Amino acid sequence: MLVDDTIYAYSVGRIRSLETRLLEQGRYDRMIDTSSGEEALKVLAETDYAAAVAELAGVHDFEQMLGAELKNTFDLVIGISPRPELISILALRYDVHNLKVLFKAKYLGVKSDLLIPVGTVELAGLEYAVNEDDYRDLPEKLRHAAEAIVEDFTVNRDPQVIDLTLDRVLYDQLISSARDKGSAFLEGLFARQIDLINLKSLVRVKRMGLDREFIKKVLLPHGLLATDRLISLIDEQLESMITAFSMSEYAGLVEEGVRDWLEKGTASRLEKLSDDYITNYLGQGKWKAFGPEPLVGFLWAREIEIKNIRLILVGKINKLPAGAIRERIRNAYI
Amino acid sequence: MTGTEIALIGAALAVGLAGIGSAIGVGIVGQSAAGLVTEDPDKFGQTLLLQALPGTQGIYGLLAGFIIMQEVGIIGEQMLELTVPQGYAFLMAAIPIAIVGLVSGIYQGRVSASAVGLVAKRPEELGKGIVYAVMVETYAVLALLATIMLLFGIDV
Repeated sequence: MLVDDTIYAYSVGRIRSLETRLLEQGRYDRMIDTSSGEEALKVLAETDYAAAVAELAGVHDFEQMLGAELKNTFDLVIGISPRPELISILALRYDVHNLKVLFKAKYLGVKSDLLIPVGTVELAGLEYAVNEDDYRDLPEKLRHAAEAIVEDFTVNRDPQVIDLTLDRVLYDQLISSARDKGSAFLEGLFARQIDLINLKSLVRVKRMGLDREFIKKVLLPHGLLATDRLISLIDEQLESMITAFSMSEYAGLVEEGVRDWLEKGTASRLEKLSDDYITNYLGQGKWKAFGPEPLVGFLWAREIEIKNIRLILVGKINKLPAGAIRERIRNAYI
Repeated sequence: MTGTEIALIGAALAVGLAGIGSAIGVGIVGQSAAGLVTEDPDKFGQTLLLQALPGTQGIYGLLAGFIIMQEVGIIGEQMLELTVPQGYAFLMAAIPIAIVGLVSGIYQGRVSASAVGLVAKRPEELGKGIVYAVMVETYAVLALLATIMLLFGIDV
């Protein structure tokens, strides 16, 4: 259809203006170069976050502010989208995130202060469901997943089932929703996110010295990289694994991220590069005048921005050196 | 159908199709501009300029329609009795601006709406956004030129 995508004209016009208010690299640098969490917040207060920062009781309450900011962004983008159902797909991730947090709190006693008030199911509903073991009111897929987790955990006592089951349900749902709505763009996004998760799982499983059977359980389907090929790599040396990806679009990321992981023993570099990779993919939204891409891109840009603010504030509160914070900061979308 | 009636179909198509093109084009830019102005009301003037650009096709169509009406004598003292071939000649003369007006109006609207995004980020580059949109205008002007030459070439 010639004019079909112009239904996005209003929302893209609005996003273009909102994009100009995203934080830039320079702002992050200034926040990192301050001497404390309070000072970093002052730099943040010079931006659109002013009102939110003013309401903060103290620097340690920043999580609540960031959660509220993310929720506002989701509400705004869903509100202006001519096809809100397309954007709501992206909120599913937070249902699953919150369920993970709640299950871990229940089964492992990990404190659940990281619930994020974004998602298709109300937080209170999720909390009630997990605490009372009553999943009837959850959406069907989540209900099945939750029941499977409870059943498995009571028998095997293996907490990994929480992440494995929920991730699988999430990405099945994301891919099938994207296909239902006929969005090749969103399907491409989710397939790449699956690849990045699979790559990380592969290296982790390899480092833990676990076997082929285990990796089969962990890998998610529907990625661009065939799972058979990934499984076959489990018996290879890590060096030849890196070579195996040299022809794929993840070459640079694997090379730099995996090496750093092996040297330093932490995946934080790979995680940063993975986020940057997705930022790059979604960057196509910056140039499109019509269509859902700018909306999805802006939403991601805000998620990254909030992640960066959290990284800086946590780093400042814990007195990490500036360099350590800086190398984990994700690239800005703009 | 008489020749005069066929000529009037030509006038109706020129005004109607080119007008539809402009209406859609101006509509697209208007939505885009409203989105920007929601966040940044100071950009009203600049976006209004961009919104006006796809409006010209409708004016060109109306101009072609007027010429046909005048030649046929609807405007003026006395209506001419055209032959059927004469009528078809007017109809054909109206086709360039009718079709090109319709399509270029829509596409000029898309370019102008993109320029609204440009103005959101770099208001000082408004001129370049206008130039891009005006490139589409060229073809509406060429079509109008063809239509006018054809209309004045018909013997009545």
